[in-house]
Amino acid sequence: MTSPHLVFQSLVLGVLLGGLYALLAAGLTLYFGVMRVVMIAHSAFLILAAYLAWWFHDRTGIDPLLSLAVTVPLFFVAGVLMQRLLIRRLSPVTLTMMSVLLTFAIALVIEGLLGYVFSGTQRRVQLGYSGSSFEVLGARVAVVKLIAFGLAVVALLGLYLLLKRSRLGQALRATIQHRDAAALVGIDTDRVAGYGFGLGLATAAVGGTALALDSTIYPSLHWHWIGPLMAIIVVGGLGSVPGAAIAAMALGILQSLLQLEMGTTWAQTVFYVALFATLMVRPQGFFGGRLAQRF
Amino acid sequence: MASDHLLELVDIQAGYGRAAMVLRGLTVRVPPASVVCLVGPNGAGKSTVLKVASGLLRPRSGRILVDGVDVTGQTPQQMLRSGLAHVLQGHSVFREMTVAENVLLGAYSVRDRSVVAERVAAVQKLFPVVAERWDALAGLLSGGQQKQVEFARSLMVSPKVVLLDEPSMGLDPKTTSIVFEQVVRMRDAGVAVLIVEQNARRALETADIGCVLDLGRVHLSGPAPELLADRRLGEIYLGGRPVTTVPEER
Repeated sequence: MTSPHLVFQSLVLGVLLGGLYALLAAGLTLYFGVMRVVMIAHSAFLILAAYLAWWFHDRTGIDPLLSLAVTVPLFFVAGVLMQRLLIRRLSPVTLTMMSVLLTFAIALVIEGLLGYVFSGTQRRVQLGYSGSSFEVLGARVAVVKLIAFGLAVVALLGLYLLLKRSRLGQALRATIQHRDAAALVGIDTDRVAGYGFGLGLATAAVGGTALALDSTIYPSLHWHWIGPLMAIIVVGGLGSVPGAAIAAMALGILQSLLQLEMGTTWAQTVFYVALFATLMVRPQGFFGGRLAQRF
Repeated sequence: MASDHLLELVDIQAGYGRAAMVLRGLTVRVPPASVVCLVGPNGAGKSTVLKVASGLLRPRSGRILVDGVDVTGQTPQQMLRSGLAHVLQGHSVFREMTVAENVLLGAYSVRDRSVVAERVAAVQKLFPVVAERWDALAGLLSGGQQKQVEFARSLMVSPKVVLLDEPSMGLDPKTTSIVFEQVVRMRDAGVAVLIVEQNARRALETADIGCVLDLGRVHLSGPAPELLADRRLGEIYLGGRPVTTVPEER
């Protein structure tokens, strides 16, 4: 029998992990909401950002968190360019399907480049505070995990405020809800879609830095992430940012709790079980359909 | 450059992708402060005319003039600035936003806040339901109310011409009457209206000028009351029931 103490410890770790899932899933669902694009390369960009954070630290010795100042704007611009130069060339009729192929290819290219430039060796950021932790009500919390969680929360909050309060956010939400009507009130929906893509990649930049703080990274690590993230956005309802965040948190906690009994490998299956269950019971996802447009 | 017509579509050819042309040399003219109605059977190209006029669909050939100025090939954003507002077929409110957000998004391209405030007051006066349901989620309004929110949204740019695509679609007869009354009020407020309707009889009763569309061209056009009285039109497009009396205009 698992002790209550261990359960609480797992719960805390689950919340911390769920925060990171939530941020990454929010980005992934945004591509789909704005453009109906399935972005397989999202997690490849995540790993790319993690590598950049590691490389930055390795070269300069400065805290990898500071690499965010470069990677976030860089990824935003990369996202805008990717939408303008590649995604927009896909035919609107087969966009969703072809976007899977296109972004799959991009993921392979990124993985290949990472292997070529940094080799397949596993990398890990070593920081002064890497090993430190503190206790909350009997649970051990690693400082790096807390920082990663904090980053995710701040980024998610920023994304929420941007969507809710800013002019760009208004335009993005209008484009998600009715693309033609948005164009007819004077919104340049193509440009807005590009910015949406940039925002999605920016979440990958933040997530990657957070990941680099407490994980060992290697070029093919992104395959490990994309499955759970895809499952999360389907469970949450494709296109729904709050749905993605809530499903991510719930599944992150569940995964962490199941690890106690089943070990890490089997606990991972919780995402796929949740995916199949959702498709059987509520195929539009728990915040899908019309709810997907609500913020 | 002034012109006798606010909007002119001249000899337009247009279609979708590689499919056959939908519009084949269509010409329509909208004079100031008038309601022009396009009627015709399904697939005649009625909605396509409006998509071409608002820039959603680029014509293959032909010219579009707004107030005498050539605007052919412009994007929807530019067309809006030229003074063309388009209300789409079916429901096109931003459902998960409030009525307020919808109406204010109509003024997305207007930066001057005092101008926006003035126009909000004006559309609230024109469409009382917009003021009454200001903070409600637009998707929760009835079909007729949503239509009026869409009208209000389109008027926020102070357009010269409003393009209305099947405004009565999906509405019950009573709501349809309200919507057509609003069309008349828009015209009386100084906006020209180009309207496309399946409900040909009802639309022609409201319109000043009617155009009968078939196979991508205008087959017949003239003052709406005359068209209503025209036997040919009655037999072909108004449900095979010839109109015998000219209804009183407006």
